Amino acid sequence: MNAVSQLKESPGTAGAARQEIISAEHIGKTFGGSVVALEDINFTVQQGDFISLIGPSGCGKSTLLRLVAGLLPASGGKLNVMGSPMTKPRPEIGMMFQKPTLLAWKSVMDNVLLPKTLAGGATRKDREKAIELLHLVGLEGFEYSFPNQLSGGMQQRVALARLLNTGAEILLLDEPFGALDEFTRERLNVELLRIQREVKATILFVTHNIQEAVFLADKVFVMTPRPGRLEEIVDVPLARPREMEITKSDEFNRRVFEIRDVLGAAT
Amino acid sequence: MSATEIPLENSAGRTTTSGIPYWAQHLLVFVIFMTIWEMSVRFEWVSALILPSPFDVVAAWWDLAIVRGLIWSHFAVTLTEVVVGFAIGAGFGVTIAVLSALSETFRRLVQPYMVALQVTPRIAIAPIIVAWLGFGMEPKMAIAAIICFFPIFINSLTGLMQVDSESLEMFHSMRASKWKIFRHLQLPGAMPVIMAGFKTGISLALIGAIVGEFVSASEGLGVLIQRFSFQLLLPQAFACLIMLTVMGLILYGTATFADRRIVFWQHEDLVNRISRRMRAKNADLLGKGPAV
Repeated sequence: MNAVSQLKESPGTAGAARQEIISAEHIGKTFGGSVVALEDINFTVQQGDFISLIGPSGCGKSTLLRLVAGLLPASGGKLNVMGSPMTKPRPEIGMMFQKPTLLAWKSVMDNVLLPKTLAGGATRKDREKAIELLHLVGLEGFEYSFPNQLSGGMQQRVALARLLNTGAEILLLDEPFGALDEFTRERLNVELLRIQREVKATILFVTHNIQEAVFLADKVFVMTPRPGRLEEIVDVPLARPREMEITKSDEFNRRVFEIRDVLGAAT
Repeated sequence: MSATEIPLENSAGRTTTSGIPYWAQHLLVFVIFMTIWEMSVRFEWVSALILPSPFDVVAAWWDLAIVRGLIWSHFAVTLTEVVVGFAIGAGFGVTIAVLSALSETFRRLVQPYMVALQVTPRIAIAPIIVAWLGFGMEPKMAIAAIICFFPIFINSLTGLMQVDSESLEMFHSMRASKWKIFRHLQLPGAMPVIMAGFKTGISLALIGAIVGEFVSASEGLGVLIQRFSFQLLLPQAFACLIMLTVMGLILYGTATFADRRIVFWQHEDLVNRISRRMRAKNADLLGKGPAV
């Protein structure tokens, strides 16, 4: 698939020794000097990992994502991305939100081209690339539609194509399908896994749906609130590629119950 | 948002459950209203000196507009005052709003003056402006500008400040500069509210120009109304008033038209049309002709 040719081939995704791409040591975040949103968070993420962050509201999962995005500074600890400390937003890191945050006055095409427009202007090659990305997310034929003409699920597909067009290797997704209906959400989850396989990105995915977290992830970071802590990291060694069928397996459900127990014990 | 809007809906062609088209209903109400008015004067329920009959008003208008044709130059004077005054007021309003939105310091420094301007009855400035600028069209333009400035400023500032926080984060994550954020997110996002301010402002500019003409002027529809009223020529005064209504409709209609064009994405029919046009224009890029 050459839609993703601009994304670097990640060395060693298939091999055993994958590179460590994010590392967090004792990071914390305090708001206004007194509200502790995150406390003593430690983890590492390998290149190509799919990580789900799960926890109830107020556990700081969205805050943690914003620290990794460079949108917020950590109050303490060390946060390294690709070997250097996180201080501000970087081109290797892209983010997507619960709202599609599309620009209503731009066509689907121009929305996908936004990263290029902000970087100085879109060339014909960029346009051809955008068409390929729209094909990748299943929106062929909607290049010159406007966001208001699309359903919520399709709008999120546009947002995903725009995110891929930033060329970022680390994708941060903050409850991207949280506002969609169950069927659309399941379909998009399956497609997200397919797309990740093609673009070989590292993904941090925030959700409050346990099934969704397990279905998608290699590792589930289970977080608990007040103060926000990373309570447990649950490995999900289910085979890939995954289809919805696996949600019926014992292996899958064992993980779901395990996570539910961790969350239940903490609240 | 300070803008109040009366939608000028195009109700032509639609029919109700009763089967009588909307336009026929409107016509019926109009005819009944005019008949009652005409009768109340004919049968001397009201003195014709106080309330001229519709026929008298139409006759006066015919005389002023068609036979003598003197109303048009006054119409043009008032219209010029309104349009120039609006342009000045809108220019200042949007510019100061943009500066306020971009710089918190600027916003803090101008805020007291904006509040002072808001609570002062701006029409009271009219005689002072006339004293400064004399008796030509300039003071009327200035008064129109001052009166329409405020809602345009407030709407523009409100629009520019109400940026969706996730969209802003999205731009930040793409490392967009302040200017790029303004250009691609803040300004287009504020356009619906700015245009609503323009619609309020254009009607206020008309009020401003007329007030200016009342204070002192030799030309304009406001002057004509004043003169005819002083001479108790009420049919003529009403004829001029109707011309002002027509002017107001033209101005508001123009603003509504511009609003639709600029904020096209809020109108389904326009979005569909523009989308089709873009698809046709980029057919070569899409490869295999028009899709879906």
